[in-house]
Amino acid sequence: MSGGYRQQPGGSGQTTRKDGKRVAGKQSFPPPGSGGSRPHMKPRDLDFIPESVGGKEEQPAGSHIHDRARTGTTVGKEIPLVDSNAKVTGQAWYGDDVRLPNEIIGKILRSPHHYARIKSIDTSRVEALPGVLAVATGEDSPHRFGVLPVTKDEHAMAVEKVRHVGDLVACVAAVDEATALEALNLFEVEWEVLEPVFDPKKGLEDADEPIHWRGKYHLSKTNVQKRVFQEFGDRSLVDKPHAESHGKWSMAGVHHGFTEPHAVVAHWGPNGRLQLYTPQQVPHYTHRALSTVLDVPMHQINVIRTFVGGGFGGKSDPFPHEMCAAILARKAGRPVRITFDREEVYWINRGRHPSHIEVKMTADEEARISGFDIDALIDGGGFASFGHVTSYYNGVLATAPYELGSFHYTGARVWTNKPASGAMRGHGAVNTRCAVEVGLDEMAETMQVDPIDLRLANLLPPHSRTISGFRITSNGMREALEKVREGSNWDEKFRQMPLGKGIGIGCGFFISGSGLPIHWDPNRFPHATVHIQVDMDGGVTVHTGAADIGQGSTTAVAQVVSEVLALPIEMIHVRSHESDTSPVDLGSYSSRVTFMNANAAIRAALEIREQLLNAAWDILGYHPDNLVLNDRRIYYKHDPAIGVSYLKALHKAQEDKGSLIASGAYRSPPMGGVHKGAAAGLAPAYSFSAYVAEVDVDVETGMIRCTDVWAAHDCGKALNPMAVKGQIIGSCHMGLGQVLSEKMVYGRTGHLQNANLLDYKIPSVHEMPHVEPIIIESCDPEGPFGAKEAGEGPLLPILPAVVNAVYDAIGIRLRDLPLTPDVVFKGIEKTLKNSKVDDPLDLPSPRLTHSSLQPTLVARAQEHKLRDKARQRTEDTSPYVNGVLFGFDPTIPLEDQVEGWRTATEPDPEQLAELGLAGRAWLKKEQREMGGEN
Amino acid sequence: MLMPPFVLHNPTTVEEACAIAGSLMEKGEDFDWVAGGTDLLPNYKWHLNPKPHVISLARIEGVNTLSLHEIGCMARLADLTVENGIHPLIVEAASKVASSLIRRNATLGGNLCLDTRCFWYNQGEDWRRSIDWCHKADCGTGADCRVVPNQNTLCVATYQGDIAPTLMVLEAEVHLIGPSGLRTMPLQEFYQLDGMKKNVLEKGEFLLKITLSEASAARTGSYQKLRVRDTWDFPEAGVAASWIAGDATSLKVATTALESIPRCHPEEVTSVLETGWDGMNSVKALAAAVRKSVKPVNNTSLPPRYRKSMVRVLTKRAVEKMIE
Repeated sequence: MSGGYRQQPGGSGQTTRKDGKRVAGKQSFPPPGSGGSRPHMKPRDLDFIPESVGGKEEQPAGSHIHDRARTGTTVGKEIPLVDSNAKVTGQAWYGDDVRLPNEIIGKILRSPHHYARIKSIDTSRVEALPGVLAVATGEDSPHRFGVLPVTKDEHAMAVEKVRHVGDLVACVAAVDEATALEALNLFEVEWEVLEPVFDPKKGLEDADEPIHWRGKYHLSKTNVQKRVFQEFGDRSLVDKPHAESHGKWSMAGVHHGFTEPHAVVAHWGPNGRLQLYTPQQVPHYTHRALSTVLDVPMHQINVIRTFVGGGFGGKSDPFPHEMCAAILARKAGRPVRITFDREEVYWINRGRHPSHIEVKMTADEEARISGFDIDALIDGGGFASFGHVTSYYNGVLATAPYELGSFHYTGARVWTNKPASGAMRGHGAVNTRCAVEVGLDEMAETMQVDPIDLRLANLLPPHSRTISGFRITSNGMREALEKVREGSNWDEKFRQMPLGKGIGIGCGFFISGSGLPIHWDPNRFPHATVHIQVDMDGGVTVHTGAADIGQGSTTAVAQVVSEVLALPIEMIHVRSHESDTSPVDLGSYSSRVTFMNANAAIRAALEIREQLLNAAWDILGYHPDNLVLNDRRIYYKHDPAIGVSYLKALHKAQEDKGSLIASGAYRSPPMGGVHKGAAAGLAPAYSFSAYVAEVDVDVETGMIRCTDVWAAHDCGKALNPMAVKGQIIGSCHMGLGQVLSEKMVYGRTGHLQNANLLDYKIPSVHEMPHVEPIIIESCDPEGPFGAKEAGEGPLLPILPAVVNAVYDAIGIRLRDLPLTPDVVFKGIEKTLKNSKVDDPLDLPSPRLTHSSLQPTLVARAQEHKLRDKARQRTEDTSPYVNGVLFGFDPTIPLEDQVEGWRTATEPDPEQLAELGLAGRAWLKKEQREMGGEN
Repeated sequence: MLMPPFVLHNPTTVEEACAIAGSLMEKGEDFDWVAGGTDLLPNYKWHLNPKPHVISLARIEGVNTLSLHEIGCMARLADLTVENGIHPLIVEAASKVASSLIRRNATLGGNLCLDTRCFWYNQGEDWRRSIDWCHKADCGTGADCRVVPNQNTLCVATYQGDIAPTLMVLEAEVHLIGPSGLRTMPLQEFYQLDGMKKNVLEKGEFLLKITLSEASAARTGSYQKLRVRDTWDFPEAGVAASWIAGDATSLKVATTALESIPRCHPEEVTSVLETGWDGMNSVKALAAAVRKSVKPVNNTSLPPRYRKSMVRVLTKRAVEKMIE
C-alpha cells in the first residue's frame, strides 16, 4: 500500500541535531515495539462498520449498543481460529502430550460387576510388586464431589459400592505402563454382588438397594434421582382439539465421540502446590472439586487446561481419574500421568441420556397450538452429573419458539447401573425437540397444511416472554424458516417427490448461556471476567478463563479486543490455560462463552480504548468524540493526517503508570419467574434455527442417506462467519450421527457392547450430506456486537428434519432413534403387512392437498411478519407475552384475566392418575413424608 | 493400549519362514503369522490370544504377485482396488474393504485368513473379564460361548471378510505352504466351520497365494455388501455372484459375514436351475433360497433377523445384473 499513514514509530523525536550530535538535555530512547509488521495504516473497512455509525454494513435487524466500538477490524470477517496453526502443525499440547521430568504412570482398577458392594480390598500384593510407587483406594478419598453443588454423589474411587461395569475401584502408579498394568492383576477384592437395574422404567420402582441414597429427600426406595412437574397456561384449551398428535419415542444414549481420550497429569510442586494438567471444559469446577477431595485450599492448586481435543460436553465434569492422579502423585511424590483407552472413555461416558419421551400436542380450529404435553423418562446411569438440569431442560426448552395455549411437563431421571449420562451438545433439548417437531409435522398432516406455514403462523415474536417466563430478546426464527424454505426449493418438493425421496423441516431453540452461575449469586458476582494488559511493546495480553475446546472461544475473545482497539489480531495474545493467571470463569458449557466472555472482553477493551483516546486527546488536542481508531492509528475524524500512531498514544497513556490494565466483567440482567425450577433454561438470550433435510431411503434395505441440508441458524451476529459455518456443519454431522447410526448398545446382560469407535458408528465423510449453512443475524441487544451462541443450537433441528424427511420419503413415522437400517426395515415390513402390499417398491408416497386452513395460516404468518419486524427493530416496544395469540392482554397478568391459568410445579392430587411414564415418579413419597430419615 | 511383548521374526524366503515355524513348533513355542497386521495387531492390543512369537511375511520376496491368474498373499488390498490386470470382481470387493488407509497395509492373505469377529470377543481385557471371558478367548477358564450359551465346544464368531466370497464364485484355488510342503485346494474347502479353527491351515502352514483358472477370467459378477457406513465397517452381510455371460447355468453365489465361514451356495442355485431359468422370477426364487440357507447369530452390529432378510435383497441385486 502507498499513500497511507506511517505506523512505525521513531523519526519525529528531535533529539539529535543536523550534525548528528545530541541535543543538549535530550536522550534518545528508541521506543520498544514496532506497532505491527506493516508500516502503513490500512484504510477503514467501511463494509464492516455498521451503517448506524457511518459505515456500509447493513443492519436490517436494527442498530446495536456496541456499534460505536466497531472499527471494521475483525468482527464479521472470516478469521482462521487463532490456535489453528498450533493444531495443524502438531504443536498444540493435549492432555497426553504433557511430559514432566520423573513422571510415572497411573492405571485404574475397574469394576467387573454392574453393581456390587466392596467387602474388602487387599493391596498387599500390589504394593510388593517392584516398580509400584503408589496405591490408592476409596479409603484415600472419602469426600464426595460432583459437577452440580446440589448433587455431589461421586468419589474418586468407590467408597462403598461400585455402580457400573468400569466404575473406579482403586488405582496404582508405577514406573511404567507395563508394571502398572501388571499391578492391576494383583488387587484382591472381595465383592458382594447386588441386583443391578438397567431398564429406566424399573428405576421408577422400589428397589432393595437403591443405587444412591438421598436421605430424607429419597423418593420411597426408588432409583429416581430427580422428578419435575411443570404446568403453565390454560388447560381447558386442550379439551376439544381440532387436531392432535401423540407419539412415544425411544431414544438411545449417545456419546460425544471426541477425538482425544481423557488424560491427566498431576504434580505436587516443591512448595506443596498441586499442578494439574487436564483437557477440561470446566477447569474451575475441577479446581473446586480437587480442593474438596484433597482437602487443600483452592489457592494451593493450579489447574492447567491443556488444549482440548474435542469436548462437546464430555469433558465438562470434574472427573474421578483427575482426583486419582492427584492422590497418587501426592503419595508417590512424583508426577503421575493417566491416559484413558477408548473403552475407559465410554465407561466414564456422561453423554446424552437414553430417553423414553412421550409427546401429546393439540391445535385448535385456527391451528393455534393449544397444548404441549411432554413426559420424559431419562436414564441417568450410575451418577447425577448434570442430570438435575437435564431433567428440567427436557421440558422447559420446548416452550419456545412457538406460542402455546398450555404446557405440561413431567420428567424423571433415574439411576441405573450404567455409565453416567450427562451433558452433551444441545444438552437436554435435543430429544424432546425432535419429538415436538415431528409432532408438529404430524399435526400439519392432519390439518392438511404446510408444516412450515403452521410454524410461521405460531411463532413468538422478538422481545416477548414464553409461557414459562423466559425472556426472548432477538429472534430470527421467522427469517430462518423463510430462508430454508427458499433455499431448499421446498414448495416444489414437499409431498411431491417419488417414493424413497423425501424432504423435512425441523426447528431449534437453545439457550445462549445459562442465566444461573451455579456456584454464586448472579446478583453479586459476574458470570465472566476478562483482564487486559497492554505493555510498552504494544502487544495486548488478554487473560480469560474461557476454555477453548475447539469451538474458538480464544479467537472470539481475541477478535473482540482486536475490534475495539483496532489492532491486527496477531497483536492480541490470549492467555487462558492456567487458573493461577486467569480470572475465574465457569467454563465452556451451556453455550455461554462467546456471549459472556466476549461481553466481558469488550468492557475491558473499552476501558483501554478510553485511556488511549484520552492520551491522543492530550497529544492532538481533539476530544475523543472527534477521534477515530483505525489500524494502529488514532486520528481526527475529518482529517486522517492529523493523528498519532497507536504506539505513541499508548506510551503517552503509560506515562507515570506503566502497563495499561483493565478488567471487564459480564453479569446477566435479573430475569425469569419465581416458581420452582424457574432458573432452569433461563438465559440472557436464545438462539433459533431451522433446517430442511433431504433424504434418499432405500425401501428394500431401510438404508437412509441424507443428501442435502439447508441449515439456517440465528446467531445474532456472526463475529466470525467461518467459525459459525463450521459449527453449523459440525452440528449437522453430530446430529446426523444420533438420528442415523450412533447409539450406546447395552446388550442382554447390561454390558455396553460397543465401547469402541468401530462399533460405535459415527458417520464418516461418506455419510455427510452437502450442508448449506445460512447465517441469520437478528442482532441481539445484549450480545457482544449482537452475537448469540452457535455451538449447540445448530444441532437440534437436524434430527427432526431427517425424521420428517423420512416420512415424506416412505410415509412411515418412526420413533426409535437412531434410525438404523434394521429399525427402518422393521417399520417398512410392518406397513407392508398392514397395507397388504407385497413389494416395498409399491409403497405409496404421502401427498398433500391443502385444506381451507392453509390460506388462514399464510395470512396470519404474513401479519405476524410485519409485527415481528417492528418489534425486532424496537419500533414497537409494547409488551408481548405468550398468550396474546389466544386473545389475552399482555399488560395484565394472565392469572388475573384467565380463570384456570396455572403456574404449577407439583401435580394436583386428582392429576396423579393421568400422569405419563416419568410422571409416575410423583406417585412416590419422599422419605421425610413417610417419617423416614431426617 | 499396550501390546503384550512378542519376538518378531522376519524371514526373507518362504523356506526360511517354514524353517522358523518348524523350529518354534519343535520347541513347543506358540506363534502367529502376520502380513499387513491390520487384523492381528489390534487384536494383540486388546490382548486377544496373543502369542510369544510372531513371524512376519512382509519381507519375503515374491509373495506379492499380482496378475489375472495369480495373487500372492502379501498383495496389498490397495493394489487390488485398481484394475492392473486383476479380475474386476476382485477389484469391486477389495474397494469395499475397510478404509483406504487400512487397505494400504492390509493384504489378500490376511483378508482370507481374517480372524472371526464377535461383540463378546472383540473387546478389551477389562471388558471381557466383566463377562467372565468367553469360549474364543477363555484365558484358561474354559468359559462358555456367550452367543450360544451353556456350551463351549463351538465358536460362532462371524467371518467378516469381503474378498473370500468373490474368489469363491470365481472358483479360485488356494495354495498353502508349511514345513510339510505345499498343498492346493478350491477356496471353499479352505474354510472349516468353527469360529476358532476357521480354516484348514495346520500349525506352521500359511496361505501362500491364490490362483484363478482361464475359465474364471471369462466370468463377470457382482459383490453386494451390507454395512452402516461406506467406510471402515466390516460387512454385516455380503453376497457375491458370478456367471459367464449368456449362460445362466454357470451362475455361482457365495455369502459372507453371516456365519463363521464364507460359503458357496451350489444347492440353492441348482434347485432354482432345475425348473429352468425364468429371468427375474428365478432371481427372486434364488434370493429367497439363499436367505433361507444362512443362519446369522447375534454377535455383530445389526440384528441377525435383519441381516438374514437382507440376504434376499443382496442376492437379488447381485444376480439381477446377470439379466440386465
